[in-house]
Amino acid sequence: MKTLIIDDERLARKELLSLLDSYPEIEIVGEAVNADEAFSKIQSLKPELIFLDIQMPEKTGFELLEMLDAAPKVIFTTAYDEFAIKAFEYNALDYLLKPINTDRLAETINKLLSKDDKKEKEEEKTPRKLSANDQVFVKDGDRCWFVKLADVRLFESDGNYIKVYFEKNKPMIHKSLNALDEKLDDRSFFRASRKHIINLGWVDTIEPWFNGGLMVQLKGGEKIEVSRRQAARFKDMMSL
Amino acid sequence: MTKYRIYWLFQIIGWFGYSISQVIAYYYFNDTFYASQIFIEALMCIFNISITHLFRNIVVKSGLLEWKWPKLLPFVLFAIFLMTMCNSLLVSVFEYYWDPSSINTELDRKLFAGLEISAVYFLWTIIYFVFHYFERSTKSLQYEAAISEFELNNLKTQLNPHFIFNALNSIRALVDEDPKKSKQAITQLSNILRNSLILDKKKLISFEEELNTVKDYLELELVRYEERLNVDYDISPESMDFNIPPMMIQTLVENGIKHGVSQLTKGGSIGIKTHINNHTLVIQIRNSGQYLNGKSKSQVGLGIKNTIKRLDLIYSDQASFSIENENSDTVLTQIVIPETI
Repeated sequence: MKTLIIDDERLARKELLSLLDSYPEIEIVGEAVNADEAFSKIQSLKPELIFLDIQMPEKTGFELLEMLDAAPKVIFTTAYDEFAIKAFEYNALDYLLKPINTDRLAETINKLLSKDDKKEKEEEKTPRKLSANDQVFVKDGDRCWFVKLADVRLFESDGNYIKVYFEKNKPMIHKSLNALDEKLDDRSFFRASRKHIINLGWVDTIEPWFNGGLMVQLKGGEKIEVSRRQAARFKDMMSL
Repeated sequence: MTKYRIYWLFQIIGWFGYSISQVIAYYYFNDTFYASQIFIEALMCIFNISITHLFRNIVVKSGLLEWKWPKLLPFVLFAIFLMTMCNSLLVSVFEYYWDPSSINTELDRKLFAGLEISAVYFLWTIIYFVFHYFERSTKSLQYEAAISEFELNNLKTQLNPHFIFNALNSIRALVDEDPKKSKQAITQLSNILRNSLILDKKKLISFEEELNTVKDYLELELVRYEERLNVDYDISPESMDFNIPPMMIQTLVENGIKHGVSQLTKGGSIGIKTHINNHTLVIQIRNSGQYLNGKSKSQVGLGIKNTIKRLDLIYSDQASFSIENENSDTVLTQIVIPETI
């Protein structure tokens, strides 16, 4: 598994490297000393897993995740940011406290590898676009989530932000809806209107609406109007 | 200053009232009084104010307020005896000057007058010491309350766990790389932990002790940050004669690293400079970075707030603190500490 280590302290990286020595499955493809370097190395090396320090100069580990469209698997390494880790209320991620306990590391890596075996085949089919299985990092104030796209019902644009609807939460991310639309897999996500992208898996009922449009109700209760232009495409996609 | 005013108010009203009561008592018993009597009482009023003020100055200058009662009592009694003697002598001289026949006054009447004035002096001493005792105990209560609050905050901000665990993590990596250095680092970390534990037990420590803690701390940060951190000391040798509150420089240096150097990708420097200016110790801490004055998202200012509060509690207004951007890439933190409290 291609892995990138991100930590601003040389000794901390060295320590992690020596700990990971005993796991041949973990292939270290690079190291990064700050968020910007990590960002470009993630783009070029395409690691499947990153070990990420939270406290780094200029940009924190969270800010790095916010810069990414889709996050690789993340294991946080931190000295004392339990409060930050606890901010993850959804899809709890793994984290390791420095100095790292070797048993705890073994547990984390075994869990990761066993999960990986199952998922590997299905993920190979979707190369570039973000599929329902991908996870995105979302931060709203002090709360953070790693959300599987399959769980997101609706993206709603709101100024320069996008509201991400999942479960009872709707945190905002700083992105444009057009840019997001290009990245999303159009077999799962549909651009209903200028302001909305809906997850087809979450559609509950569909009713005809004025001007040849459609009114779609999602399983979360949200009602979204599909514009006339998009309604034709929608019917095409949803019909057999 | 207000304390000093209260003192003079008590002195003047007290002794003036005493002299008036003496005149009234004399009138009450003798149904008459002489001008000479009033004159003597007025003089005695001035004399009493002066001699008790002299007594007070001796008490303050020689630090008698710090003494325990058993040690203090003989001194106080002796002082009262001396003051009484002076008083009686002066009264006798005045009376003789006014009326030479007064030399024949019975001894027991003089003895009675002496006892009376010594009782008054004794009362004066009790009021003076009790006042100070209460004032000091409220002050030390205030100090203790502030210290415990400081300790609580300390858990959150100053000797922060983030530093301890990062240091331990670096040391762990160092064990393979440089075993000798790792041993040294463990000792340094122990020293810092020990010093943070004595914080509540000591109000002041020598500058040298504090400097050693800071040096240990910075050595550990050097292990962590390596070439990203530059440390520079410029300590005047006279600084070692001063006492300062424990963990004070340490806190500010740690702040400088946490909010300054550690936020810079390329790293930066921290410098500690001291000099003596007009019997005060001037400590200057310069670090790379910019002071945001609460504009930053993290808890900037808690360490600073604590420092200001501690200085105020220990030194009142004799110490000072300032933090400012010296130029576009350096923050200057300065503390001025007096020689004595």
